[in-house]
Amino acid sequence: MNTSVMPAASEQQILEIINRFQGKPGALLGILETVQESNPHKYLPEETLQLISKHTGTPLSRIYSLATFYSFFNLQPQGEHIILVCRGTACHTRGSRVLLEDLSCLLDGSAFLETGENTFTTKDKKFTIKTVACFGQCALAPVVSIDGVIYSRMTTARMKGIIEKLAKGGKKHE
Amino acid sequence: MEQTTVKKEEGLVTGKVAAGTPKGVATCSITVNGKSYYVPKGKTILEAVSSLGYSIPTLCHLPEVCSNASCGVCVVEVKGAKSLLRSCVTKVTEGMDIQLASHRVLAARRTNVELLLANHPKDCLSCLRNQNCELQSIASLLGIESIRFTQTRKKPFPLDTTSEALVRDPNKCILCGRCVAVCSEIQGVNAIDIMGRGTKSQVATFFFKGLGNVACTNCGQCALVCPTAAIVEKDHTAEVWKALQDPKKVVVVQTAPAIRVGLGEAMGMEWGALVTGKMVAALRRLGFSKVFDTQFTADLTIMEEGHELIQRLTNGGNLPMITSCSPGWIKFIEHFYPKSLSHVSTCKSPQQMFGAVAKTYYAEKMGIDPRDMVVVSIMPCTAKKYEAKRPEMMGAFHYWQARLNLLEKDKFYDVDYALTTRELARMLKQASIKFDALEEEEFDDPLGRSTGAAVIFGATGGVMEAALRTAYEVVTKKHLPSVEFQAVRGLEGIKTAEVDLNGTKLKVAVAHTLKNARTLLEQIEKGESPYTFIEIMTCPGGCLGGGGQPIPTDTEIRKKRAESIYREDSRKGIRKSHENPAIQQLYKEFLKEPLSHVSHELLHTHYKERGVY
Ligand code: SF4
Ligand code: SF4
Ligand code: SF4
Ligand code: FES
Ligand code: FES
Repeated sequence: MNTSVMPAASEQQILEIINRFQGKPGALLGILETVQESNPHKYLPEETLQLISKHTGTPLSRIYSLATFYSFFNLQPQGEHIILVCRGTACHTRGSRVLLEDLSCLLDGSAFLETGENTFTTKDKKFTIKTVACFGQCALAPVVSIDGVIYSRMTTARMKGIIEKLAKGGKKHE
Repeated sequence: MEQTTVKKEEGLVTGKVAAGTPKGVATCSITVNGKSYYVPKGKTILEAVSSLGYSIPTLCHLPEVCSNASCGVCVVEVKGAKSLLRSCVTKVTEGMDIQLASHRVLAARRTNVELLLANHPKDCLSCLRNQNCELQSIASLLGIESIRFTQTRKKPFPLDTTSEALVRDPNKCILCGRCVAVCSEIQGVNAIDIMGRGTKSQVATFFFKGLGNVACTNCGQCALVCPTAAIVEKDHTAEVWKALQDPKKVVVVQTAPAIRVGLGEAMGMEWGALVTGKMVAALRRLGFSKVFDTQFTADLTIMEEGHELIQRLTNGGNLPMITSCSPGWIKFIEHFYPKSLSHVSTCKSPQQMFGAVAKTYYAEKMGIDPRDMVVVSIMPCTAKKYEAKRPEMMGAFHYWQARLNLLEKDKFYDVDYALTTRELARMLKQASIKFDALEEEEFDDPLGRSTGAAVIFGATGGVMEAALRTAYEVVTKKHLPSVEFQAVRGLEGIKTAEVDLNGTKLKVAVAHTLKNARTLLEQIEKGESPYTFIEIMTCPGGCLGGGGQPIPTDTEIRKKRAESIYREDSRKGIRKSHENPAIQQLYKEFLKEPLSHVSHELLHTHYKERGVY
């Protein structure tokens, strides 16, 4: 697949989305969410937020405040595959830190662990790693989710297997 | 409501009605620290008890602007309530039984402030707001002796140093939201907001670009309301000290009208103290070789701008014409209403006219090499720092370029440094100058001569009034019977008036704050503006309420400063700009006439469309 960033929503598309939400309560959140979904990399680029501001009259700073407040908005392009590593207490005591380190190493992103950021996307935009607080599945710790599927009692070896398969363009799940 | 009245008549509650409660206002009875009172309904606990002789400490609350209730310093105990209540947002209700200083209240206040201090850098000693900081005073007021909480922020936030005018340090921010509210509600700019969540929240701009890279106008109103040093002016005192100590430099200073009614406050005097003569004496003691006045070029501005208006009126130029003295306003229109830029007068601001005249006319007259001259301005304004560094503001360099064969590397600005009132106060303190004991002194000639019309530039409506004093006499060739135009004075957001110039009716409007400016611009863009001439000032109250003025600056203080401004005007011998003899001489010897070729070269400018980002 083409690994460069694909074009974001056009002004026309954004206008249509804004019109769809016209007059609805919480319109701005809905607009941001829908526009993000329509982006091939599931994120809100700067130019997109500029357009939303221009056509809704909402100041840029306000939009950015919302986009940074809600964790479901992404401001960076997201990988094709999303890996969520739980860093809640239960998972932590069952070794999620090591999982995260191994995973970052595997995907060439160990640097991000030092930055205190909670997300990282590989250069080829294949994978995005994110840490989350708790899946509510503490009994099955450590928990990792890959493309929406929850894996319990995850080990480095198993994770490595899944990732190698995905990297080769294999089917999403085992 | 009915019940309260009945109760009062029956004397069931023997209490005092809060002082200042107008007759006929619905009241309710409350108990404060065991004593009963009647207070007006609908007030917050904070407001209600303040007229009863109590003052609850507050930190995040900013009357007239916002109440985000984020700090928890103002908590009080109300009988029957599960938790302590924040008095800045909780309204009084009938029968409320309030304890203002119970053990629980005092402990909670301390805890809340300790929580704020846990992540706060402890560098008061080297902080610009040392001894003028609300966080520091509240900590001392509450008797905080130790901080029981450990720092949770692992890495400090980076500083925002992108702006020419302001520096933001998010590590010192207590997230009170005042700056965000001022920027949005008062200025209508919305350059900043609270970004992120939880421990990562911080005040920032769109995509963390920094104030210098967004539509911020550099007005500094955010810095004026910030309780801490999280937003401060970019300090240029070190550069000015260095210039003053350089024997090769001729360092001259100009002072904006609003400094003489603000500086005294920062030096420990009463609100609005009028300190013109002491200010001049103090500047001389700092080592400036000449103490000049921006008011001189305020008079010059009136000459140029007045004639520009007359020219636009007679030649069918773009009307309404809008004043251009306030650099925050200029950047605002360049970002938000670029289509209307042709309405803005091409006159540079008095600060910039001064720099250009000092480094040409005055330098030539005195035989000073303009490259050795340093022009420092003392401004009530943070945006003046940005204005001084606009690339267009090199009129004197271009004037001398051919005459002295100057190279690109010799480039110099007309104004080298713009200091705020606060920075000047710091320098005076560092220089051990006993400000209140100084004898009054006079400005130097010729660039220190000014009229009453120039003084009032410091207050909203002043430029308009000054322009009318001159325009009337120039157009009608008659003597103006009374120089005071009361209709354009005062703190109302938008003031309007109609003036009769020999049969031509001139409709004028005056606005202060950028939110009010928006109203007048919307009219212009819709083609519905009934005005011929508009004055716009960025800051509430005009320059006397500027973002570089002493902290605190609130409505009461603004009124005091305005009174002093108009007092200074009324005691000036000459009160019309065109009668300033030094200005007449400047035209005779150098500029020739208003809007002349030299004037255009040195005193006029152009603007640029910037877009919103
Ligand atoms: S902002 Fe206030 S409390 Fe903080 S370091 Fe400066 S003076 Fe001290
Ligand atoms: S300087 Fe003025 S425009 Fe800029 S952020 Fe502060 S209040 Fe807003
Ligand atoms: S920067 Fe100052 S005014 Fe703004 S939220 Fe922080 S402490 Fe409050
Ligand atoms: S801590 Fe990981 S699922 Fe709860
Ligand atoms: S002053 Fe009331 S919560 Fe801060």
